[in-house]
Amino acid sequence: MQFERIRRILALGLVLVLALSTFGLGGCTQDTDDGADDGATGTTETIKIGVHTSLTGGLADYGFAASEALKIAAEDFTGFEVDGTTYEIELVIKDDKGEPAEAPIVAQQLVDEGVVAVIGTLTSGAANAALPIYQTAGIPMISGSATRPDLTELGFENFFRTCLRDDLQGAAIGEWALELEAAKVVVMDDRGDYAVALGNEVQATVEAGGAEVLRQEGQEGDQDFSAQVANIMGFDPDVVIFTGYHREAGLLFKQLREAGSDAQFMGGDGIKSNEIAQGAGGAANVEGAFCTFGGFAQEGMPGYADFAAKFLEVTGVEAGPYAENNYDALGAVVEAIKASGSTVGADIIEALHDVTYEGVQGTLQFDENGDVTVPGGGGTDLIPRFEFKGEAWEFLG
Amino acid sequence: MAEMTARVSGFFGRMPRWVYVVIALALAIAFPLLEQFGLMQTLWLRLGTRVLVYVLLAVGLNLVLGETGLLHLGYVAFFAVGAYTTAILSSPRFGIQWNFWVIVALAMGLSMLFGFLIAVPTLRLRGDYLAIVTLAFGEITRMTLNNWETLTNGPGGIPGIYPPNIFGWTVDSPLEFFYVLLVAVVIVIYLLGNVKDSRIGRAWNALREDEIAAHHSGVRPMRAKMLAVVMSSGIAGLAGAIFAYYQQFINPTYFLFMQSTIVVCMVVLGGMGSIPGAVLGAVVLDATPEVIRQAFTTWLPGAFGRDFLPGVQSALQTDFDRYRMAIFGLVIVLMVIFRPEGLLPNKLWKREVHEEDPRELEKTHQHLFDFEEGKQDLEV
Amino acid sequence: MSPEHIFSLTISGITVGMIYALIALGYTMVYGVLQLINFAHGEVFTVGGYIAASTLIWAGVDGTTPLAVKIGYFGLALLVSLVLTAALGWLIERLAYRPLRQQSRIIALLAAIGTSIFLQNMLVIVFGPQPIIMPTAIVPTGFVEVFGARIRVLQVIIIVVSLVLMALLTWIVKGTRMGKAMRATSQDREAAEMMGIETNLTISFTFVMGSSLAAIGGFLVAMYYGSLQFNTGFLYGLKAFTAAVLGGIGNIPGAVVGSLILGLAENWGVGLTLELLAWLFVLGVLVGLYFQLVRAPRRRVAHIAEEFRTPEYESRVRNVYLFAPVLAVKTLFSERTDALVYVSAQHAVRLMLGNAILAAVAIAFFMAGDIQFSSKWQHVISFVVLMAILMFRPSGILGENIVEKV
Repeated sequence: MQFERIRRILALGLVLVLALSTFGLGGCTQDTDDGADDGATGTTETIKIGVHTSLTGGLADYGFAASEALKIAAEDFTGFEVDGTTYEIELVIKDDKGEPAEAPIVAQQLVDEGVVAVIGTLTSGAANAALPIYQTAGIPMISGSATRPDLTELGFENFFRTCLRDDLQGAAIGEWALELEAAKVVVMDDRGDYAVALGNEVQATVEAGGAEVLRQEGQEGDQDFSAQVANIMGFDPDVVIFTGYHREAGLLFKQLREAGSDAQFMGGDGIKSNEIAQGAGGAANVEGAFCTFGGFAQEGMPGYADFAAKFLEVTGVEAGPYAENNYDALGAVVEAIKASGSTVGADIIEALHDVTYEGVQGTLQFDENGDVTVPGGGGTDLIPRFEFKGEAWEFLG
Repeated sequence: MAEMTARVSGFFGRMPRWVYVVIALALAIAFPLLEQFGLMQTLWLRLGTRVLVYVLLAVGLNLVLGETGLLHLGYVAFFAVGAYTTAILSSPRFGIQWNFWVIVALAMGLSMLFGFLIAVPTLRLRGDYLAIVTLAFGEITRMTLNNWETLTNGPGGIPGIYPPNIFGWTVDSPLEFFYVLLVAVVIVIYLLGNVKDSRIGRAWNALREDEIAAHHSGVRPMRAKMLAVVMSSGIAGLAGAIFAYYQQFINPTYFLFMQSTIVVCMVVLGGMGSIPGAVLGAVVLDATPEVIRQAFTTWLPGAFGRDFLPGVQSALQTDFDRYRMAIFGLVIVLMVIFRPEGLLPNKLWKREVHEEDPRELEKTHQHLFDFEEGKQDLEV
Repeated sequence: MSPEHIFSLTISGITVGMIYALIALGYTMVYGVLQLINFAHGEVFTVGGYIAASTLIWAGVDGTTPLAVKIGYFGLALLVSLVLTAALGWLIERLAYRPLRQQSRIIALLAAIGTSIFLQNMLVIVFGPQPIIMPTAIVPTGFVEVFGARIRVLQVIIIVVSLVLMALLTWIVKGTRMGKAMRATSQDREAAEMMGIETNLTISFTFVMGSSLAAIGGFLVAMYYGSLQFNTGFLYGLKAFTAAVLGGIGNIPGAVVGSLILGLAENWGVGLTLELLAWLFVLGVLVGLYFQLVRAPRRRVAHIAEEFRTPEYESRVRNVYLFAPVLAVKTLFSERTDALVYVSAQHAVRLMLGNAILAAVAIAFFMAGDIQFSSKWQHVISFVVLMAILMFRPSGILGENIVEKV
């Protein structure tokens, strides 16, 4: 009898919840605004900029840096004037947990909010999942950290990025290894989206340069690399390149040093975190390791020192990787709105292709695919290099 | 107040089953129209579409876990097979675009084939071994999809899946996908409802309760179990195929072990062996977290001012997902201990799990008595 | 393929195998007494490592700490971890599994999975998603060089500790009153109760023992690798379960043998060239042929009841095995057959198929020659081993040590 009653109450409750939520949902949709009235003078308008990032999940650190950098940027740029209209920027920050399955939901939410442009996504997988929705809605999406090469080649004209592509970084790592006159090179990835794409590029470059390559793989989240270490020791390489993230890199480098390897360790921007020393069981195991970065050299940037100081002041922590790329993404959007005098997505997209923007990273432009370029172009020499010395990564050039 | 509640819920309790079915169907059909008339954000339509995918999965898994009593922990692998079939045959990856019906048939067929292949050797084993084998199969599938770069593009996934063309109708908005999925769900539930009440459905239930007794009553355990596994694999394949079309992009991270456990949780919460239960479980578990998040980050602050419970808001921003999974785990444990028959129980299963409860025993006796007297069908 | 390479693969395989064994023993003991796959065991292992590491972090051990103090802290961390983890194991049994004793296995297994998910996410909530770093000062760093490959002192410690614990466990199960109670409970719980055995206490004791072993395993892993992550236990748990099934679940020596085989398979599988792996399969074929041609017929013949034992009948049974491709298949398809011969024919066909598959793999590997499995298939190897063993010999290599109830 008792269960029967519970069932009835549940049935009733369910109907109530459905009814309430239907009306509740209806109530909260009226406050979207539909972009700008062109040509109005002396008015103030609020434009919403979406931030599609990952505040939880494995890449939460990057997401934190991105969202904080954007908050700073919004404060810096808000109140800009075009044709007498003052625009106030309002950020709408949403979290996709780094899961591509969540990305379409987040994208839809931002579209529903009526944003004029989106800064994000953090990862390339989420970008793939979210781009169709932004494209249908005609909203530009500018990522500061989605580095997967083929993203700009899929035909999405609303996609732009302010970071350099993985194939450029991969080629740079490969060239660096060849500069070290390495005859035998190990390339290892963690089977993740980012690491595999980068690793393939590195391998292609190194093989084209005539060095012998042993490809190894671990899995993200692995603890034990003993089989790979034994294989690497049997190959006796001059250089070991790990293209994944710093946790696995630390474990791998530690296990390699303990097995007696004296190879030069290298990696991409995934390992450019000072925490690598802890994971490697002490800084000694990563001393002298090299890594690159997928953005421009911060040390060569005209505005980076000011930006980093401000970031530290506002958040209390050092600016994480790709913070300045996100800052510049918002800057480029503002520049495009100024250039086109419109807050309609299609106009912003068109303007972004022509815009020349002076940002934290220097003078930036976008090519026809939406990739970032610098005036005069540039190749692998754009990629900055770092060496691990003492307790931290140090800029080489 | 108590009396009124009792009266109202009594009213709902007395309703025949078809009333609930009609109400649920009407709500489901009306739901996307809210978005059409601007009463609801598209977000909720998208969420509703995802819920329907989970409904398909939960109903399919219910066939194995609920009806037949086999624990299947690699269910998402068949979902993946269906999704990748679509992605490979209808995307710029190999530049081909096959017909929607051919792809759906292939996706279901391939999933069923894989289901058959793992069922043949493992169904002889004890039920708990089956759980581990299916778990291993799920992981093998995911890692193979991740490693087989020439076919699946590895971890990069397959972007740009073409929208399906169903008899000249190009399905490419959330609204259209919602109705396509709704049709699929209704067909699957209708068919499963019939199968459930047929000879084979009874055979599954008999196997779940006592395999030896069922065997001696003329049920062929291998055949019946095989049928359940193969059918449910096919449903997962169907769900995967439509999901890939809808998502337009898939990569191996969609098919983690966690997804399988979420579907298991849906079936357990709703009630094992109960189709309405599986539907309810999917709706509650997939929609509730998003509703809670929206409530605390948008609606309540909107109604009571921005600084409404800021602690809860920031916790939802950063830790929500972890709490969500921890709560899922806890829900499974608490449900199997305190209410193993689920929220919307199947009567037979409920009796089975409360065998020692005298009230339930009495009901069973009464039921059998009524049946012998010709007063009632032996429907369960 | 140098001998040093093979040797170092072997050493690391054994080390990894020993860690699996410490976890696998917990699975196998619980399965022995309850016929329950304690899915949460992998998480118990992680919790053990986390507790030990956080004790050491709390104590503030670093390079300057004197050796005696270090050893003291080391013991303290081990003790705290043992006590708390054992308590956790006891709690899990008491709260999640005991109310479900009367229910079907699938229900209990669901509870176990729920517990596992809950524990894993609680670890993230309490400690955060980033890995916990073991203070490195506590770890002995020495090594010896053998055949050009380094063997670390810690590896030796892991192997020795594991062996000692296994010997201790075997003694407890075989030589103490409690062990006797465990064995009785695993055979028939109700009968054991009637004989005056406190089965609830025995089951709790089993969980406490299993969890303590897992805690030591977690501590050793945290020391060996220097860090642990919240989800480390999931994969280790799965591998250890594979190892337990491989050796024969419920069987203590089986868990150790299975773990070693799995550890070696994982390391050799992605480290050796296919030609070398092929020799392993040749060895497998030889063992398989021994079973098919010598061992199995002998055991079948011994099964013949005395009153039917005639030389003709014996040779009929034996010939089914010796000429399996013809006779066994013929028997299976003939209308009227003798039950024993029929069963033998089924068995013979299974053995034959197994041998044929092994031989086919060996030949394929020989033809592939110098190629090596990419290390990206490392985890797939152990999952394939798990599926294969469950398909062909679900009772494991050494057989199950429990009375099988349907």
